[in-house]
Amino acid sequence: MTDSAQKMTEDLLRPLLVTSWRFYVVVLVLFGIVLLGVGAFAYQVDRGIGVWGLNWPVFWAFDITNFVFWIGISHAGTLISAILRLVNAGWRRPVTRCAEVITAFALMIGAMFPIVHLGRPWLFFWLMPYPTERQIWPNFRSPLVWDFFAISTYLTGSLLFLYLPTIPDFALVRDRTTGWRRKVYGALALGWRGTTRQWHRLESAMQIMAIAIIPVAVSVHTIVSFDFSMAIVPMWHSTIFGPYFVAGAIFSGIAALIIAMAALRKFLHLEAYLHPVHFENLGKLLLMMSLLWGYFVFAERLTTWYGNESSEMSVFWATQRGSYAPLYWTMVTVNFIVPVFILSFKKLRTVTGCVIASCGVVAGMWLERFLIIVPTLSHKYLSYSWGSYRPRIPEILLLIATFGAMGLLYVLFSKFVPIISIWELKVGEQPEIEDAEVTRDEASTLWRTNP
Amino acid sequence: MAARLPAMYGLFEQPEAAQLAFRSLRQAGVAESDITVISSEPFEHFEFSHRDRSLTLFRLAGIGGVLGFIIGVSLTAGTEVAWPINVGNMPILAWWPNLVIIFEMTMLSAILTTVVSLLVTARLPSRAASLYDPEVSDGKILVGVPLRSDRTPDAIRRALDAAGALVVKTAEFQK
Amino acid sequence: MSHRWGMVVDLDRCTGCEACVVACHAENNIPTVGPAEAARGRAMHWLRVERYWEGEFPDVRLKFRPVLCQQCNAAPCEPVCPTYASHHTEEGLNAQVYNRCIGTRYCANACSYNVRFFNFFNPVWEKPLHLQLNPDVSLREVGVMEKCTFCVQRIKAKTQQVKAENRELKDGELKPACAQSCPATAILFGDLNDPESQVSRLSRSSRGEKLLEELGTLPNITYLKGQAEA
Repeated sequence: MTDSAQKMTEDLLRPLLVTSWRFYVVVLVLFGIVLLGVGAFAYQVDRGIGVWGLNWPVFWAFDITNFVFWIGISHAGTLISAILRLVNAGWRRPVTRCAEVITAFALMIGAMFPIVHLGRPWLFFWLMPYPTERQIWPNFRSPLVWDFFAISTYLTGSLLFLYLPTIPDFALVRDRTTGWRRKVYGALALGWRGTTRQWHRLESAMQIMAIAIIPVAVSVHTIVSFDFSMAIVPMWHSTIFGPYFVAGAIFSGIAALIIAMAALRKFLHLEAYLHPVHFENLGKLLLMMSLLWGYFVFAERLTTWYGNESSEMSVFWATQRGSYAPLYWTMVTVNFIVPVFILSFKKLRTVTGCVIASCGVVAGMWLERFLIIVPTLSHKYLSYSWGSYRPRIPEILLLIATFGAMGLLYVLFSKFVPIISIWELKVGEQPEIEDAEVTRDEASTLWRTNP
Repeated sequence: MAARLPAMYGLFEQPEAAQLAFRSLRQAGVAESDITVISSEPFEHFEFSHRDRSLTLFRLAGIGGVLGFIIGVSLTAGTEVAWPINVGNMPILAWWPNLVIIFEMTMLSAILTTVVSLLVTARLPSRAASLYDPEVSDGKILVGVPLRSDRTPDAIRRALDAAGALVVKTAEFQK
Repeated sequence: MSHRWGMVVDLDRCTGCEACVVACHAENNIPTVGPAEAARGRAMHWLRVERYWEGEFPDVRLKFRPVLCQQCNAAPCEPVCPTYASHHTEEGLNAQVYNRCIGTRYCANACSYNVRFFNFFNPVWEKPLHLQLNPDVSLREVGVMEKCTFCVQRIKAKTQQVKAENRELKDGELKPACAQSCPATAILFGDLNDPESQVSRLSRSSRGEKLLEELGTLPNITYLKGQAEA
């Protein structure tokens, strides 16, 4: 192996083989936060949803906000990994696994909420289609059943999309370690050797998965948006929701990816692999998504305002000028004004600049989900039944716990699996065939691939 | 219990050297299907990597998708018709919402078929001690040939050495 | 003859006394949630009397409107329930099957009339209030949605009795608790499939209109108000 490849392997395997006390502290703290959330959930299952702030008529608030938010974050991996893979963007290589990991874990966290938010969560399995003695199947016309299918498909696809290209890296770790590590990674590597046949099959499979996972990702967040747009209540029943949500998901996903990459770069000392140019490129993508988000918001709000339909305008003014206005304008600031400003200037599009913009976007996108759900539910058609909402401690603990869970899962993953795809990085380092120094003889032309 | 076969292989530093070894072995009369090249990264542009390409996985994924489509249609239409319940004045066979489920089942089936096909065609998981050397993980490229009775090990050793093998080894493997 | 149950509410007769609300609670075992929970917006009035002020002082007028589940023929709450807990019966009722409900609360969000209610906690009847519970109506547990059923227990009981007696149902013989208790006879209930019944005739009245008709939910309740057209 060349020296640089040797160093690359050592750097990227070091987190797996060397553990500092800081790791244990971080894991303990994050685990504690997650336990708080588990406790809050147990309390809610024991006493009832009444321990939350939900009421009549606001029957969804933090629970569904968290659900849509985390499913949205999960679109990071798909965009980076699948789309950039298909367009052969080389700069994706060090970023691809970080992104896919976010997808997998964000999906797992988001997928918990359809269970957590149930009035009778112990019966969640009734959403699954299976023959029962009651002879009843789920209602396939319900967007919640669509959610179940879409998220199951996307979660399965994403986990496999994450696992398959990790197999060669597991083989690498297997060969470099001894004892229990060798056994565990050997099992995970499935006996991978790296024959040409295996590489071809893996590459074909990754190609197919990349092509398949993109429409699945688009469909997942569209279907999540259908949870709202299928109801004929003011400012939910809008045809814009599908594309609006998908754009918002990719937007929040890229922001989450930038934050995760910056953290990895700092704490795992990966400055040599995650270059400022990666953040620059992602920052440009984030800028584009911010502009796209602004476009969707503008289109939706102009249409509503112009139509002046009374029940819609109640919701409209509640967000623009009424009790939800502080949250609304905060959202506009951190989702649009600040990111567009920071990311438009090359000088500000540094790692730090991108991270600041991204933190704002993550907060702003959570607010956006909240502001789609609660103002509408509290201002439906019959004004006598309008209401309001205030969160209570169990819901806040659950929200914090989801961030703790994401952090914990990510930290654990980067401890046990190389967070940057070693073999893909090596492929990226391969010289172009024209540059390779070869001894030419009469048969050397056989080496060229047929176009 | 599979018989253990001896095999001879050389480890090479550069893909170009592995390519040389590949051609030398071919010139020495070894069939292409008998030559195994193992590396820690794929070398798409080299001739030794040319064979074993196939469209099987793509075709199987397509078939898997069709299967998923059929399952989706059966699941939705079948259960809706089996116990007709009126919800919201919608038709019993509600094709618009069913399309969502049908799409997801199609994609899920295509994805799962792809993964299963990958495992089968790449012969994973593999517990058998097949031709391998852990040095491959250090970046070496392995070019090897099983030694059968009709083969002279010396010719193979010469071919491997001439291409610049760092080391030539003989070992016993299953299959 | 198959039935299609409907209701007519005469807004000019309604005095806002809320006897119907109390009767509904009593008949259908609806819990009272207590002042703290009511302040949090968890009160469960399957039938509520909405009160609107109109005009400026001194020409202030008070309008009352009893709102209950409209038993919509194209109910937005039905297709969204993942477990078929909310579905439409052949007699035109929107049925809520408590046993199937897992409490996603989507139906309540989709309902344009806000007539669906959720059991945020397990309902409690302090002794001796448990003695007043109607044995014909099941108690709901925590996490289950509930709403007006047009007193389906009375519908079932009466139609079975009428069938056993081998006769037809007389108009006005079957009344849900709200219609029975209204002192102003503002609430009328009957079979829309019987063209001679009161509700059939009044639902065709020029004084009649449906609540939120523009949404296309096709409610089974007609509200009467204002002068009849000549």
